[in-house]
Amino acid sequence: MVATAQASDLAFSGLTKLFGTTRAVDGVTLRIAAGEMVALLGPSGCGKTTTLRMIAGLIEPTEGDVLIGGMRITRTPVHRRNIGMLFQNYALFPHLSVAENVAFGLQMRGMRKALIKPKVAQALSLVQLGALADRLPSALSGGQQQRVALARAIVIEPTLLLLDEPLGALDRNLRDSMQVEIRQIQQRLGITAVMVTHDQEEALTMADRVVIMRDGKLEQVGTPEEIYSRPTSRFVASFIGTCNFLRGDVIGQEAGRPQVRLAAGGQIALPSPANDQKEVLVSVRPEAISLSAEERGTPATILQIVYRGQATHVHMALDDGTPFLAFLPNRDGKPVRSAFSTGDRIWASWSPDSNWAVSEA
Amino acid sequence: MTSRPLPRSVVGLALLLPALIFLVVFLVLPSVILLSYGVLTQSQGGDISLPLTMGSYERLVVSETYRRVVLLTLRVALVTSLFTALLAYPAAMVIAYGKPIFSRITMILVVAPLVVSVIVRTYGWQLMLNNSPTGVLNWMLHALGTGPTPVRVLYTEWATVIASVHVFLPLMVLPLSASLGRINPSLNEAARILGAPAWRAFLRVTLPLSLPGLVAGVTIVFSLTAGSYVTPQMLGGTRGLMLGVLLEQQINTSFDWPMAAAIAGVMVVIALAANVGVGWLAERHALVRAQRSGAR
Repeated sequence: MVATAQASDLAFSGLTKLFGTTRAVDGVTLRIAAGEMVALLGPSGCGKTTTLRMIAGLIEPTEGDVLIGGMRITRTPVHRRNIGMLFQNYALFPHLSVAENVAFGLQMRGMRKALIKPKVAQALSLVQLGALADRLPSALSGGQQQRVALARAIVIEPTLLLLDEPLGALDRNLRDSMQVEIRQIQQRLGITAVMVTHDQEEALTMADRVVIMRDGKLEQVGTPEEIYSRPTSRFVASFIGTCNFLRGDVIGQEAGRPQVRLAAGGQIALPSPANDQKEVLVSVRPEAISLSAEERGTPATILQIVYRGQATHVHMALDDGTPFLAFLPNRDGKPVRSAFSTGDRIWASWSPDSNWAVSEA
Repeated sequence: MTSRPLPRSVVGLALLLPALIFLVVFLVLPSVILLSYGVLTQSQGGDISLPLTMGSYERLVVSETYRRVVLLTLRVALVTSLFTALLAYPAAMVIAYGKPIFSRITMILVVAPLVVSVIVRTYGWQLMLNNSPTGVLNWMLHALGTGPTPVRVLYTEWATVIASVHVFLPLMVLPLSASLGRINPSLNEAARILGAPAWRAFLRVTLPLSLPGLVAGVTIVFSLTAGSYVTPQMLGGTRGLMLGVLLEQQINTSFDWPMAAAIAGVMVVIALAANVGVGWLAERHALVRAQRSGAR
C-alpha cells in the first residue's frame, strides 16, 4: 500500500470569503470525519470552488478557520499543508515525465532518491500506470493523465485529498469508471477527501455525504439518500435529479399522516407530520409514479412521450396546468409508447412514501 | 472574351515581386559587395580589387587590440542579456499574472524607453553616469555617504551595459510575458500544494516552461547589443570599444574598407550564431528530455 495516511478530520468554522462586497462564501461551518469523502455540490457561483481553494490555502479566508485534525491551519502557507489535489485540467507538469511528476512532491519534502524511486513505482502501480513511467504527460490520454495526477497526489501521503471537478474533462464512460477507481483508492487509503463538482451524479456516486451549496451558504448536508429522497427545499429537490412539485393544503390527519388536498385536484398523504403549516409544497420524484387509464389517483393530460433508453419520460399537465413528469421503466421490451399516446387523459398514482414536503425557496 | 483566373503561384509571385526587387537591389546586393570587400585587397590608392586574401580576418584574430574588441563585444552582449533577463522576469510576471491595471502600467513603463530617441536617451545616460562628482549617480552615491571617490562608469563597457539593459528591456519582457501567460496557472498551484515554496515552484515549473520566451528575448537582446553603435560610441569610450565603433573608425579614420568589411562579416556571424545557437541549445535540451522519456 502506498499511503497509510493517518486519517485526520477536517472542520471549518464560520468560513467566509469576500470578493469586494460579494460574499462568495458566507459563514460555512462543517465537520468532515476522518476518512470521509464529502462532495460540495451546487450551481456555478455558489462558493464551492472558493471553499475548496481556502482549504488548500490558495485563497486566504476573510473570516473563519480551517482545522485539520483539530489543528488550525488557516494561516499555514500552501506548501506546508500536506494536501493532495486533483485539478480539472490535471495540471501535470508538461516538461516532466510521469515518474518525475509523481516524484515532485517527495523531492520537495527532501526525500532521498533511493527512497523516492520505490514510492513512485508503488504509486504508479496503484493507478495501473507503471509501464508509462517514462512518458511525457502529453503522450497520455485524459484518463491516464488524471490517474498520474492521482498518483502524484497520494504518493505524498496527504492528510487531505481535494478534488476540483476532477473528471469534468473526461467523456462519460471513462468518467464512470474513474469515479469508481478514485473512490476505491480513497477508501482503501482512508484519506479524508473533499470534492467539488457540479455533476450531481458524480456527487451521489462518490461521496459519503453531499453538501449542497447556494449563494455561499450550506443549503443541505446529508448522505446521498437523504439529499435525494428527503430534500429540505425546492432548490435541493430540483438541483438533484428531476422533481415534480405539487401545491396543496393540509386538510387533516388520517392514521397519523397529514392529508393534503392538491390544488390540481386529488388528495395525497404525507409520510410524516408536516410542521403545522396549512399550505405545503410536495415533491414527488418522476420514477415513483405509475400511470393508468383507470380513474385512480390524480388526473392528467399527456403532452409528450420521450423514449430515453432505460426509461420513457412522459410529460403531462395536471388539470390546473401544473407540469408533471413520470419516468416509466422500459422493462419488458414493451414500449410505453404503445400503451399511451399524446393527448390521452390519464391517471397518475404513487405511494404516499414518495411524497415529501419541501420549503418553497 | 472571358478572362481565366491566373494560377495562384503566379499571383503570389507577382505580389511578392516589388518587395523582392527592392530587397535584392538595396539589401542583398550591397551586403554581398560589402562582404566581398573583406576578402579583397586595398591598393595604396584606395582601389579595392583582387587578389583574394584573408588578411583582414587574420588581423582581427591575431591582433591583440582587435581580438580584445571582439571579446569585449561578446562579453557586453552576454552581460547585457543576463541582466536584462534578470530584470525582465519580475516585470513580465506582473504583466502576465498581475491585476489588469498593474499589468497595463508595467507594460507602459517597460516600453517607455523605446519611444525616446536613441540620441536623447544616450545623452541622458551621459549626464547620469558622468565620472565627475556632479554626475547624477556620483552625486547620489555621495549623498548616501559612500565616500569621496567618484565612481568611474562613463566611458567603460559598464556604461554601455547599463544603457543597453535600459533600452532592450522591453524586447526581453514582451516575449517573456507572452510565454509566461501561456503557462497554465494551475501548474504553479499544483507545485505549491505538492510542497514547493514559491521560489522552488518558480525554478522547477515556471522557469523551464517560460524558456521559449527567454530564448527569444536573449537572442534579440544579444544580437542587438553586439551590433549596436550609438550606445558604445557615446558611452563606452576607448575602454569600452566595441565592433560597431571599430567598424566606423576603419571607414572614417583609417579608410580601410576591407578591414571594415571583415568586421561587418564578424558581426553578421555573431548575430547569426546567437539566433541559431541559443535556439539550438534550448531545442537540444528539450530533445534530450523527450528522448529520455521515450515519448513520441
